[in-house]
Amino acid sequence: MNLPTFLDRLFARICAVFDSRRLDADLDEELSHHLQALVDDNIKSGMEPDEALRHARVTLGGVAQLREIHREARGIAWFEQWQRDLHYAFRLFRREKGFTAVAVIIVAIGVSLNTTVFSLVNTVLLRPMPFAQADRLVWITNGDPHAPLSGATSSIDTWEGLQEMSRSMDRIEGYSPFSVLQTFRLTGKGDPETISSVTVSHGLFGMLGVQPQLGRLFLPEDALKNAPFRVVLTHRLWLRRFGADPGIVGGTVQINDAPAEVIGVLPAADPFSSVFFPAVPVDFYSAVQNDIMRGDGNTLFLIGRMKPAITQGQVEADLPLAIAQIKKKYPSRGQYMAAVGEPLHDWVAGGLRKPLIFLWVSAGFVLAIVGFNLGGLLLARGGSRRREMALRMALGASRGRIIVQLLTECLGLVAAGSLLGGIVSWGFNGLLSTRAAVEIPLLQYLRLDGTSLAYTVALCLTTAIICGVALAWKLSGGWQMQNPLNEGSKGTSGGPGRSRTRNILVILEVALAFSLAVSATLMVTSLRNLLKVDLGFRPADLVAVRVDPPVQASQAAYIESALDRVRALPGVLQAGATDCIPVERDRSWPLYPVVPDKPNDQRWQGAHVRIVSPGLIRAMGTSLLSGRDFERSDEKGPPVIIVNKTLATHMWPTSEAVGHQVHFPPPIGGDNGVTMTVIGVAGDVLSAGPEQPAGGEFYLTLGQFTYSASWDLMVRTKLPVAVLTAGMRQTLGSLDPNLALTKAREMQSIVDRTLSSRRLLASLIGGFAAVAIGLCLLGLYGVVSYMVAQQTREIGIRMALGADAAGIQRDILGKTLALALCGLGIGLCGSVLSGFLLRSLLYGVSPNDATVFALAGASLLACAIGAGYLPARRASQVDPAVALRAE
Amino acid sequence: MKEKLDLLPGSLDLLVLHTLASMGPMHGYGIARRIEQVGADTLILNQGTIYAALVRLLQRKWIEAEWGTSENYRRARYYSITARGKRQLASETETWQRMADLVKRVLDAAL
Repeated sequence: MNLPTFLDRLFARICAVFDSRRLDADLDEELSHHLQALVDDNIKSGMEPDEALRHARVTLGGVAQLREIHREARGIAWFEQWQRDLHYAFRLFRREKGFTAVAVIIVAIGVSLNTTVFSLVNTVLLRPMPFAQADRLVWITNGDPHAPLSGATSSIDTWEGLQEMSRSMDRIEGYSPFSVLQTFRLTGKGDPETISSVTVSHGLFGMLGVQPQLGRLFLPEDALKNAPFRVVLTHRLWLRRFGADPGIVGGTVQINDAPAEVIGVLPAADPFSSVFFPAVPVDFYSAVQNDIMRGDGNTLFLIGRMKPAITQGQVEADLPLAIAQIKKKYPSRGQYMAAVGEPLHDWVAGGLRKPLIFLWVSAGFVLAIVGFNLGGLLLARGGSRRREMALRMALGASRGRIIVQLLTECLGLVAAGSLLGGIVSWGFNGLLSTRAAVEIPLLQYLRLDGTSLAYTVALCLTTAIICGVALAWKLSGGWQMQNPLNEGSKGTSGGPGRSRTRNILVILEVALAFSLAVSATLMVTSLRNLLKVDLGFRPADLVAVRVDPPVQASQAAYIESALDRVRALPGVLQAGATDCIPVERDRSWPLYPVVPDKPNDQRWQGAHVRIVSPGLIRAMGTSLLSGRDFERSDEKGPPVIIVNKTLATHMWPTSEAVGHQVHFPPPIGGDNGVTMTVIGVAGDVLSAGPEQPAGGEFYLTLGQFTYSASWDLMVRTKLPVAVLTAGMRQTLGSLDPNLALTKAREMQSIVDRTLSSRRLLASLIGGFAAVAIGLCLLGLYGVVSYMVAQQTREIGIRMALGADAAGIQRDILGKTLALALCGLGIGLCGSVLSGFLLRSLLYGVSPNDATVFALAGASLLACAIGAGYLPARRASQVDPAVALRAE
Repeated sequence: MKEKLDLLPGSLDLLVLHTLASMGPMHGYGIARRIEQVGADTLILNQGTIYAALVRLLQRKWIEAEWGTSENYRRARYYSITARGKRQLASETETWQRMADLVKRVLDAAL
């Protein structure tokens, strides 16, 4: 047969599968014509009508059989066979509703967890970022990428120098990570509002491939020194504040009491903020103006795009060379610059790689437990179907046919479960992607895409095939050892092989659940340890209310009079102001201790700076270890500074810090810098959150700084936030009628945000462990119930011979515990392994912590006792007379 | 009386093709009757199996089918051989005859 003929036939066969109904009708018509023709001929040759019909039927052959032969000849036999298997399976499911529901729900749980976790992994780690040529983007930092912000960012000079000198980079753009902490007051139509923005280089959005929904993005002329203040609104601000009015583009809005020209509106999906500022609501973007920011030191994070055909290695070699050339050509730009490049995706997702992969593995464990559980359920149900299988095999069904039949049933169950799981996961994804307070980049881009669906389908098929084949092997093979057709008398109890398999499955379930329980306990303990860490201030009952003083007002006078009014409010215990909330803002300035006899000894270092009002340190709950706090009179006195304990011990290891002097090099304090006297030493504050050790910090008083910034009034009060802001609005209204007060946050929530991804991880692992233990309970219960049911006769005999109920109960519970203990033994090895993988994510707890293991073990044993209790009770209530007669 | 012959696998398709080539368009009953007539008493033909052979030939595009009206005014499906079918018939007839010759020669020589 040649190829066209072969292909024609193949195509026709495939079509025939889907056109069965019509083809069958055609055949029926032909057969009836044939039969009629035969009958006519027979009658013509002299037969009686009855005889003629009978004879015709014999000559033609059985219609059902002919139809079967026809179908086999024209279609794809195995496919149609399989369709029939599926049909049969659905009939079975309808009959066994309870079993089907449990199986489908179990599978749905496993699949939904796995699909959700995979979507997360896919979104954050696997999928390219939603930028143009995302794989060619490079994150460029000023030396150490993990340094505090002021050390990791670069100056305008470095940026311009790199643009000029780098030979590996096509473009280099940047944004200011500091800008997002500055807020602005938005006035004009409607109530005043506090809004936040990010300052980006004019070409950044173009390089990233971000397109405006309306208007335009920034152009080079927007970056010029005298350019008018132009802004691009985010979709959320446009929607919330301007009612999605397209006419806003080209108009002006009032930002900080000055007109700002709206040049464009971004689309709802804002990839820039979702990658670089997850959990921060950005309201508008403005352009970096090089000549204005030039004197501000390190302010920019740089993102470059590699030239075509350049490799990461060449970038790493090129950037230091470029820096060396800048230093040579422009010695006045200073020597403190460096450039280190790494793939942007690594920087964005690097910190999440370990936790997400761990989560992925844990989800895999849950799926394995689901598989074992389903396997156990199917085996248990298989017990009642052994006779059916044996009968079919005795009637000539091949082992292959039986395997396909069972596999089909399994696939049907798993597919239904997966479908349900996929829907649940879709819901989970929607829920997670709107968690605006979770600091996971790209979370808004979380969704079920083609890859996730393909992953789900692959999971579903794997589960079905593993469960189905194992089951079919067990069932179709078992009959050879003993003939189940004879089992009606129940002289023997179940297949010994089958109950052994179920025991092994349930032991494996316990083992996996145990190691998940250990991981979860470790993660939760770490989180609890972190929550107990003394941050150096008391976040509880502390509210941060953002205030942006009018630009023309004297900052110090404005803030002081606002504070006076707030302190007078009933319910306010203490209040102070700062421009830099610990945990949230990371900014350092350089300074060095003045050594009187060695004026040239300038060993300067960077330390965190907070500009504060008098009373702020006390309001935060930070201790003042020696010296005094700032006072209002300091405004007119000599420059003073308060340092923290770490900075004090570092600068003056042998003597008391109070009374010593420090010097700030320019531009801080003007062209000659400024020298300040230490008046106090404050306790350390963990300014980068509970996981990072304390560094050097110092406080300056706002009275001595002509510095325009956003301020937070830190109010210690037990009042709810809404009550506090209502009171503040009333008392501050006469001071500044345009005050927004829309950004009032509990300090605790700011601290919590730094732990948000860890909290999410801990709750996910905790959820996995809970599901695993639940499934284990079900698995153990199933196995033990089956055991009791099989041994009813034996128990009956024992009771008839005088065994007491308590003894029987103990016996059953003992067997349950034995299974659980076997599982714990195996799980112990697994837990040591997963603890090893987890160790870098732990805080204040060892991966081999005995208490954790004991706790996890105890919870599983409790679950085992719970699972064994009901069957044990049932066993102890067996009535010997009934049990023996029932046989 | 001699025992009747079962058809060798694949030979029914050849017989059907040949019948259609020599007799022109026919319906299933006609084909079956024709084959039985030629085969006289030497052949067991379960007449219904002709339809499986017909669908195989149709799918290979060696024959085509068309609904028509039979001699006793009933709707019947008429089959006719295609050009492709004629080529196939020629080559298969040759193969078949060579095979039959070979078998005959070997069997004759064996005695």
